[in-house]
Amino acid sequence: MPVVVGAIVVLLALAAFFVLAARRRGHPSDDIDSFRRQIDALSPEARRQTSERMKPSDGRSTDDDGANGT
Amino acid sequence: MMVPMARDLAIDLGTANTLVYMKGRGIVLNEPSVIALNRQTGEVLATGREAWQMIGRTPGYIVAVRPLRGGAITDFEITERMIRLLLQRVGVSRFTRPKVVICVPSAITEVERRAVTDAARRAGAADANLIEQPMAAAIGADLPIDEPVGNMVIDIGGGTSETAVISLGGIVALEAVRVGSFDIDAAIQNYVRREHGIAIGERTAEEIKVAIGSADPTPDENQAEVRGRDLMTGLPKTVILTPEEVRYAIEDVVSSIVASVIRCLSKAPPELSQDFLVRGMYLVGGGGLLRGLAERIERETEVPVKMSNVPLEAVVLGAGHVIEHYEALKGMFMGARR
Repeated sequence: MPVVVGAIVVLLALAAFFVLAARRRGHPSDDIDSFRRQIDALSPEARRQTSERMKPSDGRSTDDDGANGT
Repeated sequence: MMVPMARDLAIDLGTANTLVYMKGRGIVLNEPSVIALNRQTGEVLATGREAWQMIGRTPGYIVAVRPLRGGAITDFEITERMIRLLLQRVGVSRFTRPKVVICVPSAITEVERRAVTDAARRAGAADANLIEQPMAAAIGADLPIDEPVGNMVIDIGGGTSETAVISLGGIVALEAVRVGSFDIDAAIQNYVRREHGIAIGERTAEEIKVAIGSADPTPDENQAEVRGRDLMTGLPKTVILTPEEVRYAIEDVVSSIVASVIRCLSKAPPELSQDFLVRGMYLVGGGGLLRGLAERIERETEVPVKMSNVPLEAVVLGAGHVIEHYEALKGMFMGARR
């Protein structure tokens, strides 16, 4: 019985080790996907919505304060 | 007044102005980066526009200060208090802690980076990440940085001027100088003091810059009447300042900005350099509004210079876009894997 439990523990430890090692190495396609998502998020279509939010909203101060540097 | 629920925020923490973009809503705050304090008790008396109006006009026990100089935090404690008040004003409390993206100059040191993120976290942010101003400006100015073409952006702020070449979502070449529109104001102050013997405040110097300042001769030029304090008699005095005098006064600062643009151009790979001749360079930031500056840069570099449609808001809009697409664009944060 102790031998079986020991074997299970060792198997679980090995499985955990391989899972962690695989995660650390990462998959090449993850990098490609991540880069593709970044480029897509920078596309003019994706940016259009943010540009449209230029319209002054309720809390925005619109007075000209004269301080024109940023 | 109804206090809005806190959502994730993008902050352009500029030397001159602070702008805040709220996810899903747009720009919710645009105020000078100034705080007025009671010198004796340390109590905050005003922030933003109200504090800006106090600059140079306060009694001895009140001090109105800009806690950022050259794009960097000069007084950590005051900056933290200013950020805390800003976040409170847009609805952040201890129960609604948003993710915050802050735009900073690319030349910021590791110590300054930590100072900004620590200030934001202590002020109530759940997580604070930084993004380089020229990158945010390029996104906000709608440049096609998702394409493999050379995009050049010149961001002239209150304390820093940065020029970057961006392609495929990354910075290819970068040049930054800690010189900006406040240095132009200071140069005007020094000139008037030296040549006309009168002392003027920084707000008056800024008004002169806006009224008759230029980097290159312009078609319609007028003189300006300047009022200050006579250094010899201590009495109020008026002098006339010409646009030529102002150009002479600010020449060193303007030359330094133009030289940094030229250095950035010379760092760009040749394949991207040829794109600039067709696409031009984009000018953003309040300092870019100086009359004749675009023409001056164009004349010295022989590359067309275009003004962004949103020169003052481009940086915060770019950071706002990053907040809107946080997961996809988190690789663009300073220190993240590129």
